[in-house]
Amino acid sequence: MKPSLLIIALCLSGTMLKAQTTKTDTGNTDALLKSLSTPDKAEPVIATFKATRLILSQTTETVKKKELNFLVIHRFGDIGGGGGGGKTLWGLDNSSDIYIGFEYGISDNFNIDFGRSKYEQLLELGLKYNFLHQTVDDSSPVAITGLVKTGFKPYHVNTAVFDNYGDRFSYLLEAIIARKFSPALSLQIAPSYILNNSPFPFIAGNEKRFFSLAAAGRLKFSKRMGIVVDYVHPFSSFRNNSIDPKFYNGLGVGIEIETGGHVFTINFSNTQYISEFNYLNDTESSWGKGQFRLGFTISRIFDFNKKHKNY
Amino acid sequence: MKHIGLIILAWLIPNLAGQDIYVCKNAVITLYSKAPIEDIDARTDRGTSVFNATTGELAFSVPIRSFKFDKALMQEHFNENYLESDKYPQAVFKGKITGTTDLSKDGSYSISVTGVLDVHGVKQTRTIPGKITVTGGTVSMAAEFMVACKDHNIEIPTLVFHNIAESIRIQVSANYSPYKATP
Repeated sequence: MKPSLLIIALCLSGTMLKAQTTKTDTGNTDALLKSLSTPDKAEPVIATFKATRLILSQTTETVKKKELNFLVIHRFGDIGGGGGGGKTLWGLDNSSDIYIGFEYGISDNFNIDFGRSKYEQLLELGLKYNFLHQTVDDSSPVAITGLVKTGFKPYHVNTAVFDNYGDRFSYLLEAIIARKFSPALSLQIAPSYILNNSPFPFIAGNEKRFFSLAAAGRLKFSKRMGIVVDYVHPFSSFRNNSIDPKFYNGLGVGIEIETGGHVFTINFSNTQYISEFNYLNDTESSWGKGQFRLGFTISRIFDFNKKHKNY
Repeated sequence: MKHIGLIILAWLIPNLAGQDIYVCKNAVITLYSKAPIEDIDARTDRGTSVFNATTGELAFSVPIRSFKFDKALMQEHFNENYLESDKYPQAVFKGKITGTTDLSKDGSYSISVTGVLDVHGVKQTRTIPGKITVTGGTVSMAAEFMVACKDHNIEIPTLVFHNIAESIRIQVSANYSPYKATP
């Protein structure tokens, strides 16, 4: 009785020994290494877009803490149609709009933006906040960024209707929802609500406020280049039904090039203007009539974080 | 009675073998390169390492995403363009040390490790000099070596010419603790 028990115990300890040695086996360094590293599951997806702007839309990206993004955005004149052709060098002699802007990162997720457009001398002040990051494990499938902006026209503009200062203000409330489907493909939609203290353009029947929806995407074809497409649709019965002037939805296509410090976009779009307040309210040119233009966006990040930390 | 002796012996052997494995969950790895315009400087403390003192095997694994840079943009470029961390999330080194070490005695031992460094999906055989220090029963390891970007297929476009040096200095330091297999 006793010897048999002992033999069983011996056998058991023998299997234990075997289990132990396999663990310490050479091939199992891998398994041990793997078991030690606990990957952060909710790791955020980075670089859904390269810059805070596509062509027309803003992206879910924010400028990181203590960084300043300097933006120069330009739209030339109509390539074809009445205003285009050889006499204007296919629009290059004209500029529909020029925007110079700054975006500063108060925190990694919170930006304050300021900019000015040539068209109607529009000044803009905005706040952008990244509520939600897309995560690698899809616990959050999308990134959501909110944008609040106010636009102000400081001078008498061609409508000359702004008697009160309050009339010169416009407001934009926007949610931007983006997903990076693969390293190459990112898509976003952005519902927004616009409110003009005086409806613009100042035509009878124009609404003071309306919704609009933007859809945009990027498809990278190399590590540093991608095709970008940007489309906006205002849900405004006035804009959809008006015959004179006739309004069109904004559509832009372009190529995005990242050089390490700068992000360039070279694009074509039918909208003449750069600010949402202008192109959502008043896009009167059409791709079909040759009224599209060359445009570009230059985005350059300046870093004000202290350099050379010593570890 | 002699059976019991055997059993005790059988039990002791695996326990002794278990103590020859050392692990580290927070190995510090830094990258540094001096370049005319911008120095590259990044650090992580999320490297993991396994050191088998009996066989001399040494393995390191580092999540690329865990490297922190001073400049957020640099960190993004590092992950997005250079190391492509979504495709190659880990940098791994597996090798075997040569040199005599006696981990039961305090002291400092110069070693060299020959093995395969797998970064950015490219495996390179390397021999890396290092040092093992034993003080009061704790084992630590330190190493410093250079990695050429082109060895690991890390392309630096001509557009970014002066920003990045062609070789990156890597420093590794790990403090080990004996591995206890959890039952």
